[in-house]
Amino acid sequence: MEEKLRIGVFVCNCGTNIGGFLDVPEVAEYSKTLPGVVYVKENLFTCSESGVNEIKEGIKNNNLNRVVVAACTPLTHEPTFRAACEEAGLNPYLFEFVNIREQCSWVHKNEREEATQKAKDLVRMGVARASKLEPKDRITAGVIPSALVIGGGISGLSAALSLANRGFKVKLIEKEKKLGGLVKSLYKIYPENINAEEYINQKINEVKKNKNINVFTSTEIKNVGGYIGNYKVKAENDKGNELNFDIGVIIVATGAKTLSPEGLFSYDGKKVIDMLQLEDKLKNDGISQYKNFVMILCAGSRNNERVYCSRICCMSAIKNALLIKEKNPESKIFILYRDLQAYGTTNEETLRRAKINGIRFVNYSLNKLPEVEDNTVRVYNEILGKELLIPADLIILATPLVAPEDNENLSKKLKVTLDENGFYLEAHIKLRPLDFSTNGIYVCGTAHWPASTEESTTQALGAAARSSIHLEKKYVMVEPIVSSVYYEDECRGCGLCASLCPSNAIEMVETPKGVKAKVIEVACRGCGICGASCYRHAIRMNHFSDEQIKAQIRAFLEE
Amino acid sequence: MCSGRIDPSLIMEAFVNGADGVFCGGCLLGECRYISGNYQAQGKILLTQLALKRAGISPERLTIKFMSSAEAQKFVKYVSEFMDKIIELGRIGKAENLSENELKLKLEAVRNALEGKKLRWVVGKRTEFMESGNLYNEIFTAHEIERMFKEVVMDEVDLQEILLRLKNKPSSVKELSEKMRLPSHRILREIANLKKMGLVELEDVSGSSPLWKTVDE
Ligand SMILES: Cc1cc2nc3c(=O)[nH]c(=O)nc-3n(C[C@H](O)[C@H](O)[C@H](O)COP(=O)(O)OP(=O)(O)OC[C@H]3O[C@@H](n4cnc5c(N)ncnc54)[C@H](O)[C@@H]3O)c2cc1C
Repeated sequence: MEEKLRIGVFVCNCGTNIGGFLDVPEVAEYSKTLPGVVYVKENLFTCSESGVNEIKEGIKNNNLNRVVVAACTPLTHEPTFRAACEEAGLNPYLFEFVNIREQCSWVHKNEREEATQKAKDLVRMGVARASKLEPKDRITAGVIPSALVIGGGISGLSAALSLANRGFKVKLIEKEKKLGGLVKSLYKIYPENINAEEYINQKINEVKKNKNINVFTSTEIKNVGGYIGNYKVKAENDKGNELNFDIGVIIVATGAKTLSPEGLFSYDGKKVIDMLQLEDKLKNDGISQYKNFVMILCAGSRNNERVYCSRICCMSAIKNALLIKEKNPESKIFILYRDLQAYGTTNEETLRRAKINGIRFVNYSLNKLPEVEDNTVRVYNEILGKELLIPADLIILATPLVAPEDNENLSKKLKVTLDENGFYLEAHIKLRPLDFSTNGIYVCGTAHWPASTEESTTQALGAAARSSIHLEKKYVMVEPIVSSVYYEDECRGCGLCASLCPSNAIEMVETPKGVKAKVIEVACRGCGICGASCYRHAIRMNHFSDEQIKAQIRAFLEE
Repeated sequence: MCSGRIDPSLIMEAFVNGADGVFCGGCLLGECRYISGNYQAQGKILLTQLALKRAGISPERLTIKFMSSAEAQKFVKYVSEFMDKIIELGRIGKAENLSENELKLKLEAVRNALEGKKLRWVVGKRTEFMESGNLYNEIFTAHEIERMFKEVVMDEVDLQEILLRLKNKPSSVKELSEKMRLPSHRILREIANLKKMGLVELEDVSGSSPLWKTVDE
């Protein structure tokens, strides 16, 4: 038998935040007339201790089986009110929040009557939805306390160390023979110009010594199955051995590579080289025979083909220009640039130092690219408005960092997204910058976007911290606001829902009745795309079901 | 929940219950927390607009706008513009020149069409068609998708409207053609489809214009 609805409505004044701009007593009075409502209480502050107690007492004394609070936003106080319900013995998902502050009193400060009317509409809708709410249990699943870090550059090394030092087991997978990534090929690292090789070797040694880290070089990921807390990863090394790991969380730190300079500005690898070759020459004292240096920035970047800025090339060039000057004060260095990325106080300072030390900066535009000729570079100086002929013994092209082609492949295995340039795409640029949209997988370093080692390391520590939340807790708990294949008989196993799911939370499984969709509840983030798309209406969205939303719509349109 | 949760059936719930306009708001395209949710919403809104239009109801009564949570001004602007539009159109049915009964029937037909398997399948497959192509690896442009939508929507909405009309009252092709202001060959085509599906049958074969009715369950 269906239980009889006993709905309690609590209307908050929020001091004067609500009460000052609309007629709260009238809204409360009106609430009493709504179907199913048996108890109404006006609060000065529903979120205060006394307010919360009034909810609890209201539930107990009136046998309430639904609670509606008309106050502020779920972001601020939903947990408070849900907890109050729970403490009074009511399932927290039988609670409904109506926002009459941000969405009403605050935006209609000069229309008291209309605001009051709107608040009534909102409460009526909330009560209608509350009538259709169902009790739900929070969903929990265990987390294997072990992390997989893919990529052994500075980012991967830093993330692995951070997790290992906190006691978690880490599997570090590097596809090359040696750890270290791009930094291994550098001479010095700006801003402090520390020795790149010493720095990276120290990190590598720390990693190798750490008992919590297992390093697998010359190894590549073959397959990734499972979901947050419980990934099954298959990898293979160059000897053809298959490795299997049970993993709780995954960090992607696969870095980037530089664009090949082939075909750009008469590149020949001898007189015209790229920045990595210059780093190598600096390392091996290979620049003493040159006097006139010209660096061309944005070589092959910020054009139609590659619109983005690679962010690290300006500073790498300025760094190396200064290092050349240090070794050979007589040298003449021109840096041809389009815009300069010297952000932050230290970089600004380095740029200033470069100018003081006589390094010349010449601005060119994409319309008039510099031309490399025998022993000279011809460039149209945008600022002077005239052409310059610069003598050059060594020409260095700063080509951008680009996404490795392999990203395509690995991203599919991980079921994470790439951006239009092939770099890994975070879940949200501001709210979740280190997470992937798929729960349990994180990104850091130049795998995500061109970044300096400092930025990469910061991100690596952040990603380690983010992922460690799950490792530390040993379980993941998710709101039961997930989809479910509620009408399983309707499901034809077409896989449309699985293909549209942005969280990869739907798998197709064999059942005695044929292939059916199945929701992996811990992976589901409750967006509702699957339910809205299932052509046979087999999927139901828990806690935001069609019936609940339709009840709200109908209540709004009631005359 | 995401704008991708918007099921055309929810939108039609509002229209059927007397809404004069429905405004959907979503995050900026490309900035969806659920990656593709707002694109899904966009497709579903487009489909719903086409269906409304086919039924003679102004598609301007439905809109979707994208903005970030930090763009209050944009939100206010979009909502105000939409309100102005709806006020200009007036109560639903009025601008459309439809009697109350006709409006109800048309909205029901649109709802049934949008809740039906065919349209849901088509809109659901839109992403795949646009991104990875169909079985023959033909990728569809937004324009081609819209054209395809239009054709399927036309069939489905007409079909549902005929079905509802026949449920109310057995009619001849000529009568339906007049009521729906559609050429009789179109009506005939849909009737043939409905007959194939076993949903309608002839009631009375005598006379020059036979009457059709729905099949009793
Ligand atoms: C010429 C040049 C000069 C620079 N100078 C400076 C500087 O002075 N200061 C500064 O701060 N930054 C500098 N940078 C930037 C610096 O190199 C990067 O910030 C840094 O390399 C980022 O580290 P990472 O670990 O994210 O990526 P990477 O160093 O690219 O490391 C990624 C690692 O992942 C591995 N990998 C890739 N794919 C896979 C896979 N599928 N499976 C397993 N492993 C994989 C790679 O083999 C590599 O070892 C410079 C860059 C260039 C190109």
